Amino acid sequence: MEKKSARILVFSTEKISDPAIDMAGLLKLHYPPTVYTIAVPCSSGIKPRWIMHAYDKGFDGVFIAADGSDCTYGETCTEKTGHIVGITHQMMKEKNIDPARLRMAAICSVCSESFVKQIKSFNQYLLQSTKS
Amino acid sequence: MNKKLGVYICHCGGNISDYIDVEKVKAAVAGEDGVYLAKTTMFACSDATQKEMVEDIRSNNLDGIVVASCSPKLHLLTFRAVSERALLNKYNYVHANIREQGSWAHSDDKAGATEKAVSLVKAAIAKVRLARSLDPIIIPSKKAVAIIGAGVAGMRAAIELADMGCPVTLVEREYFVGGRVAQWDVMFTTNQTGKELVTRLYNEVIARDNITLLTGAEVVANSGSIGDFTLKIKVTPRYMKEKCDQNNLLKAIEACPVVVPDDFNFNITSRKAIYHNFPGEFPQYPVIDIKNCTRCGECEKICSSVDFSQQEQTVEVHVGSVVMATGFDPYTPAEGEFGYKLSDFVVTLPQFKRLTDINKDNLVYNGREIRNIAYIYCVGSRQSEGDNKYCSRYCCTSAIHASLEARNKFRNVNNFHFTRGIRTYGKQELLYAESLRKGDVYLQAYEENPPLVEVKDGQITVTINDIMTGGREISVIPDLLVLVTGMVPRADNSIASKFKLPKGRDSFFNEIHMKLRPVETVIDGVTISGACQGPKNITESVNSALSAAAKSYSFVNKGELALEPIIAGIDKDLCTWCGECEKACPFDAIKKEKQGEKEIAVINNSVCKGCGMCLPVCPVNAINLIAFSDREIESMIDALVSV
Amino acid sequence: MAENIKTANYDALVIGAGIAGGEAALNLANNGFSVLLVEKDLSIGGKMILLSKVFPTLDCAACITTPKMSEISRHHGITIFTGSEVQKVVKKSENSFEAVVIKQPRYVVEDDCTACQLCEQACPVVVKDQYQYNLVGRKAAFIPFSIASPRVAAIDIENCTLCGACEKVCPTKCIDFTMEAEEYHITAGAVIVATGFRLFDPLKIPRYGYGQYKNVLTSMEMERQLAPTRPFNTVLRPGDGKVPDKIAYVLCTGSRDATVGNPICSQICCMYSIKQAQLLMGSLPMADVTIYYINIRSFGKGFEEFYEQAKGMGVNFIKGKIGKITEKENGNLILRYEDINENKLKESEHDMVVLSVGVLPNTDAAGIFREQKLEFDHLNFVGQKDPLASPAETNIKGVFVAGTASGPMDIPDSILSAGAASSEAMRYLIRK
Ligand SMILES: Cc1cc2nc3c(=O)[nH]c(=O)nc-3n(C[C@H](O)[C@H](O)[C@H](O)COP(=O)(O)OP(=O)(O)OC[C@H]3O[C@@H](n4cnc5c(N)ncnc54)[C@H](O)[C@@H]3O)c2cc1C
Ligand SMILES: Cc1cc2nc3c(=O)[nH]c(=O)nc-3n(C[C@H](O)[C@H](O)[C@H](O)COP(=O)(O)OP(=O)(O)OC[C@H]3O[C@@H](n4cnc5c(N)ncnc54)[C@H](O)[C@@H]3O)c2cc1C
Ligand code: SF4
Ligand code: SF4
Repeated sequence: MEKKSARILVFSTEKISDPAIDMAGLLKLHYPPTVYTIAVPCSSGIKPRWIMHAYDKGFDGVFIAADGSDCTYGETCTEKTGHIVGITHQMMKEKNIDPARLRMAAICSVCSESFVKQIKSFNQYLLQSTKS
Repeated sequence: MNKKLGVYICHCGGNISDYIDVEKVKAAVAGEDGVYLAKTTMFACSDATQKEMVEDIRSNNLDGIVVASCSPKLHLLTFRAVSERALLNKYNYVHANIREQGSWAHSDDKAGATEKAVSLVKAAIAKVRLARSLDPIIIPSKKAVAIIGAGVAGMRAAIELADMGCPVTLVEREYFVGGRVAQWDVMFTTNQTGKELVTRLYNEVIARDNITLLTGAEVVANSGSIGDFTLKIKVTPRYMKEKCDQNNLLKAIEACPVVVPDDFNFNITSRKAIYHNFPGEFPQYPVIDIKNCTRCGECEKICSSVDFSQQEQTVEVHVGSVVMATGFDPYTPAEGEFGYKLSDFVVTLPQFKRLTDINKDNLVYNGREIRNIAYIYCVGSRQSEGDNKYCSRYCCTSAIHASLEARNKFRNVNNFHFTRGIRTYGKQELLYAESLRKGDVYLQAYEENPPLVEVKDGQITVTINDIMTGGREISVIPDLLVLVTGMVPRADNSIASKFKLPKGRDSFFNEIHMKLRPVETVIDGVTISGACQGPKNITESVNSALSAAAKSYSFVNKGELALEPIIAGIDKDLCTWCGECEKACPFDAIKKEKQGEKEIAVINNSVCKGCGMCLPVCPVNAINLIAFSDREIESMIDALVSV
Repeated sequence: MAENIKTANYDALVIGAGIAGGEAALNLANNGFSVLLVEKDLSIGGKMILLSKVFPTLDCAACITTPKMSEISRHHGITIFTGSEVQKVVKKSENSFEAVVIKQPRYVVEDDCTACQLCEQACPVVVKDQYQYNLVGRKAAFIPFSIASPRVAAIDIENCTLCGACEKVCPTKCIDFTMEAEEYHITAGAVIVATGFRLFDPLKIPRYGYGQYKNVLTSMEMERQLAPTRPFNTVLRPGDGKVPDKIAYVLCTGSRDATVGNPICSQICCMYSIKQAQLLMGSLPMADVTIYYINIRSFGKGFEEFYEQAKGMGVNFIKGKIGKITEKENGNLILRYEDINENKLKESEHDMVVLSVGVLPNTDAAGIFREQKLEFDHLNFVGQKDPLASPAETNIKGVFVAGTASGPMDIPDSILSAGAASSEAMRYLIRK
């Protein structure tokens, strides 16, 4: 059976991006229901091994809804989150996983539309790439 | 040990159950390992359900609960309190968000939403299985508050806090207090003047010895967090001694060669680089505007109070909480927007307020006697093209009040109002009724078809298709055109980034929740008050300022605060001290310590904020964040894919 | 009676437990002050607890109110008297008020009632349900509404026939017809008046036909039809139970109208009508909703965007004041109005009309304050002595006003006003 939507794990942040994802719901901006969120305090505290674990267990993609420059814990957040993505990409290559299956974008606390847009395009990408 | 768990799935009165089959969710999770009871409920947050939960937990000795309902941003605290009442440590409750991220987000796909809800609840169950009981971290909280901005909001909050016995540092960037209100003469709805109000508040502020007022002062750095903020404040001197001979001062002002637009009068007049505050501008000391001063020394020759030796100072204050009261800027129209800057006779509402204040018997501007005045409303607000979608709420009433004032104060004034529909809400409606009674002319257009302003040979023509008369084209040639400009966030809002305050869609500071936590921000310990949160009149600004004062007071009055125990922990055995975590921590919470033979990293629990930045950098994976450990996250991931 | 008088001391007395009184009580209690919260009705929560969803965020009113109300009812620092009235308040000296509070009998022992509803089922008497704004009936032994706080039965003694059916079925034997009114003598250091507002009675405008035409209802009645705890589970025409598909809103009913004695704008009705219109479009996707207005007053944070959103959803907005409403045989209604845009008189047919009734002052508090009287403004709202610098202050030092008792306000503004009143009360209590 052809999949209607890809299974995506979102790491959101409790104070910044998770409220935006909540607001997407409030505004009934729809996105696929196979998108699941785990909220953590800050995107710069996500361990690469969690991401790898998700691929292991069958997630098609992982999306980091990063704090970006709004992070309440300091300006270094963006750089650090970027670094985590870098390391994980390396690990993915080693395991022959398409690095494009991990995406990151800064999602501010009111960036609901941008979140939904990003997720939809990610979903499209994942559907196409897993088909071929 | 296998935990005994309770699971509650909320209908939210249809908000959830209209899209998610909650019974199906219940059936799907009831058999999960450890789930002792699973229930659906109409409103999980209702009093009756809360009681039922307490009863369930107590009588069945539950070790953990999962509540699947709306976003935890709304009710996390509610259900934590439920657990505590049932004598269950509150960290043994885990929330699943099946409304904002379930039924509402997927209202277009009921089956999908239901399936997702099952996964989310299972993940929450996985997490609660591993949850530990935790005690809050108690930290001291400094009984002192800093208030940024000494407008009406800031001053009012300061007086309130001071009287509650809490020392206040009141930081004002300008050399006068009172903010915008100092600039208004007669005001709605009491017909008091801004000067009267500001004078009164200023006198109350200086009468209290536990308020430290700093003018010409700006916060340049902020560190620390709730309970203990450290602010560095740069205080720029006035370059004038306090005692001053009025005569010499006046001569010195005359001698000063530098002429700059006077921003207190919104640039409709000018002043010198050395100047005296207007009556109503407090403190009443003269100031040298050092940015524009050329140091020619003319004033110094005449007035012995001039003192260029005064130095900029930086003071450091320690406070437990901060109240933001930085107010707003009036909108500045773009050149050409409704004729702005195309004629000398197009002014903004704030300028018009100053104009009617400084003119005494006749209304004269740029040498012209003003009789016919046109007002164009909603300039910079309710924009269909621009960014400012919101209504500025004060301006209809303010424009009508100012136009009535002009009518009362000067002879032969005729007012023509070009509106988008008057919004004198509440009791302010009486002013509108009065204006109509007195014969002011009201014309209206919709946003698609705003009034047109033409400036030709110094003559202004305002034309509108007036919907009140079935779209008839009407033109008015006024002596003066007033643009009723709205409120926008302060142009220099660098203070926001110093405190990392989030902004809303309208770019004003954002509260956590308009109804549940209206003066708190996501930055713990920082509250917002007055017009920096959104357009407000004075009454509304003061209401919010007093609410913020009460909230900030509650952060500091007990001298201590209980903080979330969600912090990082280091596995002593695994740690080999490489120093990476120390570098990663933005709060300097990690230090090297010798433990026996070994050097390891140690975390200072009251400094750690629980961001987790140290976790991914550890090469030996020795660090875990409480409640976000590898086991917890990974078992949640397992549960999400298990359906 | 004398020996039945009970006494108690509190830091503050809060009169009225709507959202404003509740919020004020919580603020005080959270800062360590003891509060007596007196509510006339059988449940706390005021008008808000009965609303559907609330503008501009569309959170469900119950989801915001109930947790607050349960926090209030559980707080160690707050004592609640429902079904009670403050008979009089006398200021003895600074920081010392004496009050007499009468607690009317509920005929049910609050602590023992489990809200099992057996009494409700047993009771043979059916009367109109005021909590559903008379849309449906209830029994004389009844639980006010499903999310009432306290959620405890009461006996409506005026309608009760004393048949005793409820007493027989009550499993905890908590029904007690011998209960009498209790009198409490209270001292308090400060008082907050949060008695809220009254709704305009549309019977005063006979040309709109309320009370005469079945399908003309008030916005509060519509609010109940849209609420999650609603009586019918959908929106129905009261006349024949048909689902309406062409609904009209008449704004400014009883507001901005000196001829009915209320010259001011009610500040909330534009917005709640826009909200209801959006909810109606959600629950009846085929329905056509038209709002007849003079000016749309969407002035608060996020309000203009909310108005734009309604336009985007297809709600019709017509600038025009309704002259007269007449009823057709099938129960439909003909609205005669002046269409301002086109500058002509027009008629249109709708199958349901909602009157967006305005806010009127509640003058209950007038009689309470003895010796030094509480002053009211010329519109009969509780007077604000210093509206710019201290909006919560009244003419009596130590008595503060919160929420709509001082004028029309929406919920966010009521909450901020309550914050101010509680802050002022705290300052007054601390400063002594
Ligand atoms: C033309 C006009 C007419 C009005 N007329 C009326 C009226 O008649 N009646 C009425 O009720 N309301 C009126 N208002 C509204 C009224 O001005 C506002 O409600 C009020 O000014 C809001 O007070 P505030 O303290 O929040 O902000 P503000 O008055 O803006 O004060 C903020 C203060 O913070 C200071 N500040 C800003 N940034 C910093 C910083 N980084 N560090 C330190 N200090 C800082 C500013 O210098 C200022 O002193 C009018 C508004 C306008 C534009
Ligand atoms: C149809 C409708 C829809 C609305 N929708 C919204 C909305 O979507 N969003 C929004 O923000 N606002 C809305 N509102 C406005 C909102 O209802 C009010 O802002 C809010 O209820 C005001 O709260 P309050 O506590 O001041 O008054 P009230 O809710 O009136 O509460 C006053 C309380 O005091 C009690 N009381 C009165 N007299 C006495 C006495 N003598 N002794 C003891 N107790 C007494 C009353 O029983 C009541 O419980 C709506 C209003 C209406 C009518
Ligand atoms: S208050 Fe009046 S002038 Fe100001 S933006 Fe709103 S509608 Fe326009
Ligand atoms: S809020 Fe709107 S409907 Fe209500 S009285 Fe004011 S203008 Fe009329």
